Amino acid sequence: MKRAFFSPRSRLAAPLLSVCLLLVALPARSQAPGPGLAWSLGYDPETFDPAKVDDQASELVRYLTAGVLLRVNRATGAVEPSLAESWAVSPDGRTATFHLRRGLLFSDGLPLSAADVAWSIRRVLAQETAAPVAEEFLRPREVSVEAPDAATVIVRLPARLVELDHIFDEVAIEPQNRPSAAQVTAGPFRLAAYQRGQFVRLERNPHYWKHDASGAPLPYLPSLQLDIVASDEQDHLRFARGQYGLLNQPSPDYFNLLARTMPQAAHDLGPSLNTEQLWFNQAPTAPLPAYEKQWFATTAFRVAVSRAIHRADLVRLAYAGHATPAYGFISPANHAWYDPRLEAPHEDVTAARALLASAGFRRAGSGSHPVLLDPTGHPVRFSILTNAGNAPRARMATLIQQDLQALGIETTLVALDFPALMERLMHTQNYEACLLGLANVDPDPNAAMNLWLSSSPNHQWSPSEKVPATPWEKQIDVAMRAQATAPTFAERLRAVKQVQAIVAEQQPFLYLVYPNVLYGVSPALAGVQLSILQPGAVWNIDTLHWAKRKP
Amino acid sequence: MRFLRQLGRTCLLVLLVAAGTLALVRYAPGYFSDPREMDAEHAATIRAEIDARRETDSSSRAMAVRIVQGWLHGQLGTSRQYQVPVGELIRPRLGVTARLVAGGLAFGWLAAVALAVPLSMRLNSAGEAAIAAGSALLLAIPVGALATIFLLTNTGGPTLTLGLLLAARDFKFVYRLLRAQWREPHLLFARAQGMTVKQIVYHSLLRPLSPQLASLATMSFVMALSLAVPAEVLFDLPGIGQLAWGAAMNRDLPLLLAVTLLMATAVGLSGLVCPPALTLQEKLEPA
Amino acid sequence: MQRLALTLLLLLALSALFLGLRPHASYSAQDREQAAAGASALHPAGTDALGRDRLTRVAVAALLGLTGAVSAATLTTVIAAGVGVLAALGPSFLEGPLLLLCDAFLALPWLFLLMMVRSGMPLGTAPLLSAAATFFILALLGWPACARAVHAGAARMRCADWMTQGRAGGLRTTQLMQWHVLPRLGSLLSPQFLISVPAFLMAEANLGTLGLGVTEPLPSWGSMLLELDHSAVMGGSLWIYLPVVSLVGTLVLLELLVTEEARA
Repeated sequence: MKRAFFSPRSRLAAPLLSVCLLLVALPARSQAPGPGLAWSLGYDPETFDPAKVDDQASELVRYLTAGVLLRVNRATGAVEPSLAESWAVSPDGRTATFHLRRGLLFSDGLPLSAADVAWSIRRVLAQETAAPVAEEFLRPREVSVEAPDAATVIVRLPARLVELDHIFDEVAIEPQNRPSAAQVTAGPFRLAAYQRGQFVRLERNPHYWKHDASGAPLPYLPSLQLDIVASDEQDHLRFARGQYGLLNQPSPDYFNLLARTMPQAAHDLGPSLNTEQLWFNQAPTAPLPAYEKQWFATTAFRVAVSRAIHRADLVRLAYAGHATPAYGFISPANHAWYDPRLEAPHEDVTAARALLASAGFRRAGSGSHPVLLDPTGHPVRFSILTNAGNAPRARMATLIQQDLQALGIETTLVALDFPALMERLMHTQNYEACLLGLANVDPDPNAAMNLWLSSSPNHQWSPSEKVPATPWEKQIDVAMRAQATAPTFAERLRAVKQVQAIVAEQQPFLYLVYPNVLYGVSPALAGVQLSILQPGAVWNIDTLHWAKRKP
Repeated sequence: MRFLRQLGRTCLLVLLVAAGTLALVRYAPGYFSDPREMDAEHAATIRAEIDARRETDSSSRAMAVRIVQGWLHGQLGTSRQYQVPVGELIRPRLGVTARLVAGGLAFGWLAAVALAVPLSMRLNSAGEAAIAAGSALLLAIPVGALATIFLLTNTGGPTLTLGLLLAARDFKFVYRLLRAQWREPHLLFARAQGMTVKQIVYHSLLRPLSPQLASLATMSFVMALSLAVPAEVLFDLPGIGQLAWGAAMNRDLPLLLAVTLLMATAVGLSGLVCPPALTLQEKLEPA
Repeated sequence: MQRLALTLLLLLALSALFLGLRPHASYSAQDREQAAAGASALHPAGTDALGRDRLTRVAVAALLGLTGAVSAATLTTVIAAGVGVLAALGPSFLEGPLLLLCDAFLALPWLFLLMMVRSGMPLGTAPLLSAAATFFILALLGWPACARAVHAGAARMRCADWMTQGRAGGLRTTQLMQWHVLPRLGSLLSPQFLISVPAFLMAEANLGTLGLGVTEPLPSWGSMLLELDHSAVMGGSLWIYLPVVSLVGTLVLLELLVTEEARA
């Protein structure tokens, strides 16, 4: 009887299963690298209107498509002529005059004149455009733009601006009265297609003004495909399979995997401009007990915690070696502004204990579980808040947790999703310590003005102070304002170094590491000059080409 | 009549879910904040946006009225993340998720039933332990790891991932239901009488169990919808699941409302496709 | 068979207890010079990325995870059984609203409730308490799908002969439930229980993004499993698969135990 029941099993199961498998086992498509270049964007660009860009994905698309008067060379930092053949700034710094190249055309073949340039700059400055870049002109409504002839544009400012020429690297020139959201451009590429959540496709601008030394038109690459890929796994896999020519800032684990499997494609450029830091909540309105606020406001406490953290271990274990220990807000990669004379104190638990003792903290208990008590007898324990989903950051927090145990400090780690974290940091101030990173796109410290001014809502450890809470915060305010208005670089540098010294002494932020700049670049891609500045591997996109396909 | 009742029930369900979603999202931490606030350069613009939202969304009753008014005019609102109408975001993705869920369910159920029917006849077999180990393995491996294996070996797709995970779950239920059924006296009698397998399976096994199987189908439909989120995210498939995840992480209320309402409608309508237990039972056994 | 499964499970739990609590073993101590190392005399199953002893971590995670997930799975199965049976065999006016509640529960984005719970708890909440709260909430949210299936199964029994006979014989509803209904629903409840155990372990790990669940330095079984999501970890020490292997073993034993129980 049993046997009779056996046979139908194979009759039923086997064909059904094989049909199912055939139906759904869809092999992933593999694709040889075409003449175009593909890589991934983590998320959709919020806008293609070059005047309204305020996120990195949109900024990348603007960089690749927009024609600009001047371009900052990401390798040398020098400002180079682009649509403007030459330019001059008056001695008082209030007038900039640009002379355009002859025969400039938009990607639709129509001529580009000074009238288009003046219109584009005015559009950026206009209040109704709400262009984020307008804020860099400080008083945009008082800026005037003239086009006295077809090849000259004059921009008049109400006051001298720090690094005025850098701002024009972000102002896209569009056809007068025909803003096209990157479809008609004067840059190397133009927008060809966009599928939300899937890809952005750019194609070569046939009328781009630039040519190579042999007179061949640039860019070499006929098209660019930027896939919207949120998964690191997919990004890495597509690069490894040759579907992508570039891999931007992979996580240290994936970078190590790449270095093992394709060593010639893995590039570690050393420290980036970004910082990872820990800070204590010093906001007077924070809903924390008074004794806790007292710990966090004590310089000796902050410095002692900082000295107990083994930064070398953070680098080695949290970043698999692909980061650099940090002691200040300016990265050593930022050669112009970094102060190498600043002390880089090595971790020293004994010194940290002595510092705490000098501030009235004492240790109770012994052996492997000492407890640190504050001068009023409260045990020192606090939570460290961070964002979820960042593996190196989570590992750093766990390492710091053990480092602080050596001082008798007990910590709890809490990872929240970003909106919930933001609510605590920016609105309720209901947190004790926070571990987070700050991305610095601009090497000029002026870009971090909002972080350092005590009145700013982005003054993280104590936002929107009505008056500086401490003398040293007042000194930072004065120095930051001085660097923004000083007429010479030397004076600016002096002010910035003063801020660096105060920050190193007071440690409102405990800087931990500068994550390294990591890239995967296909060995077949030629002309790549990697830079730590955005947009990294593609800043010279017009001269990139496939080695075997060089025209 | 039953159809109308079910339709009314679905409408009530949609309203309940809408009210629940509105309350959950509106009072979730971070509704009035934005990750871009940390960007010192552009924070001022973002803060102005947040203040405006605080003004319009301070009363949840006013919000609910506004949303319902929008629906009555056929508008699902504008996505907070993408600043485009929600309908425009969802429409092109519906097909992708529908295909994924349908494929996954078909594979999961065919595999589960095809394995469970013959195996449930053999009690205490060694195969049972092997199957238990196999399904335990599928349940113990995270979706991400399974997807990674498929991606690395270039063999399966999201449908296979979803199908396998559903098969592992469905098999457990179907197998146990069938095994309990095999032990019913009338089935033992039928087997002893020498009825053909086909007759037994159809008349005495699947038909009496159809109400429970229908409920299980609804259950695995809901499971498929929730598994579609990681499957789409990991395989980078532009479906509703991928959209829903982004919407949750960005507190995009209009988009989330639309997605949960779709889900509620699907759950409600699945009751139409799978008739309620008693009605079918009565139909099968009128006596 | 049942006895063997129970013995093996107890043995597993005892060995986890011994490994987790053996002297000089710490699930949190970081041997930073031995990070991501293979098996050695000091660390029989190697160490994790931060140099913590993997064997101790897996043992403690197994104890914590099993206690949490098994309790939560039991609770969710009990709720599903209660609601399903009540809807099918309780007062008829309850059936519609209870089933509607099940459906509404299935479609709501509960993620946000968990976020609210987290924001209501102090940031300094002890990791163990946070883990317990997480498993409890998971149990409260995990029942509706199964309750529907239980309802379908129980509704089928309404007109069964044994039910009529039992009623005619003077059995009270509670007796009928205890002796007849629940044992017959075993075929739906045991898989629900078995599926919930790994699902809750994984859900606990995923809820880490909301600040809930087992937090560092306590080891989380789910988080150890989620590490396998990335191909970047593959190719390293084979000991990273220890959590999966131990979970599969435990699940199979649980299955044998529950199956045998259902059969008995």
